[in-house]
Amino acid sequence: MSNRKNSVLDGLLGDNTVFSGLMVISPVIVCGDTIANALAVIYAFSAITFLSVMINSFVPKKLPYTVKIIIYTLVSSLIYIPVRSAAVHFFPDVVERLGIYFMLLAVNSLIVVQSEAKFFKMKRGKMVLSLIFYILGFDAVMLITAFVRELLAYGTVYGRIVDANTLIGGLGMPFGGFILLGVFCGIYRSIRAAIRHENNGAGGDGDVSDS
Amino acid sequence: MFLIAELVVLLTTNLILTQALGTSTLFIAAGSKKNLLWTAITITVFTTIGSAAAYFINRLLPLSMGDFRLLFYVLAIGILYVLLLAAIYFADKKNFETTRKYIHVSAFNCAVMGTLFIVTGRAAIYSAVNSLSGFMIAGAEAGTGFILAAFILMAAFRRLCSKEVPAAFRGFPSMLVYLGIISMAVYALT
Repeated sequence: MSNRKNSVLDGLLGDNTVFSGLMVISPVIVCGDTIANALAVIYAFSAITFLSVMINSFVPKKLPYTVKIIIYTLVSSLIYIPVRSAAVHFFPDVVERLGIYFMLLAVNSLIVVQSEAKFFKMKRGKMVLSLIFYILGFDAVMLITAFVRELLAYGTVYGRIVDANTLIGGLGMPFGGFILLGVFCGIYRSIRAAIRHENNGAGGDGDVSDS
Repeated sequence: MFLIAELVVLLTTNLILTQALGTSTLFIAAGSKKNLLWTAITITVFTTIGSAAAYFINRLLPLSMGDFRLLFYVLAIGILYVLLLAAIYFADKKNFETTRKYIHVSAFNCAVMGTLFIVTGRAAIYSAVNSLSGFMIAGAEAGTGFILAAFILMAAFRRLCSKEVPAAFRGFPSMLVYLGIISMAVYALT
């Protein structure tokens, strides 16, 4: 294991929300097949997660763990209501298409698990920065995955037809999402290990796993 | 033939293999066979009783308040969460510290919350599901599907984490690819 210090940038690069933490992967697998879907998910995820974690940070720490988790989830479910109303205005077709995955963003692991395990152990300033980068980490993966899947599965980019010779329809399906995400996850870990090895010099541990 | 038909139904309506719901929870619990099995069983309890609660919420909640459905489902799962913890505490105080982690992992996740919405959606289409027993059976089926997915992952877990797999793909990445291949096979059945 690497002994390097945690950085506020971790959520984006070193400890990416999706690739490293394996959090919030179902929207990426099922909804991340077009950029239009991805943008709606990114908006809802970012708004719900940021506002929920910020409000939840005021919940007294002395409360029992179970009570705190229930409060966190109730707060995010409340925030979901105005976020959905705005989404229906900005992404009218997409919200219907995303169905339950849109609602399930309110019970994502970043709010339910990571708030207590990570964010609320930090000082507020660092917490806000770290949270932003964890959210950006998800947003980046969602957008990149959606771009690749839309291009290769449907031959379009944000709905516009492009000159793609070979289409792989399966990439638009959930199983295509599983496989592509697995491949991306492996590539991410290779790149991360190479960067850490370079930073540590020849004596680096060469670790690529998240365990 | 009946068993085969039931198995096909469990696979083709599987939360994880067809809708990727609860995949993160499956991976969190995948560390040991015991964890995986107990988490899957606890999730089945949550989906079954939670679906019963969803049935009553759907009956009581006016259609105009549809956006509040998530809030009430969360509240119902929250109450169930506390009740299950209390039940385990009074039933087996000695092992409470060990067993409570399964409840914590299983309470609020996409597998449980997703099931409530999926069963509600199914009940809106098929009137046979729109009863208390229909909701509970559908919830139990979803949980059983999670157990099935857990068994499928357990079967290959050791090999996917072995040194034979290239280091960058060892563990989670190979599990994702493996689940993708199984999901593709299940898709062929639909």
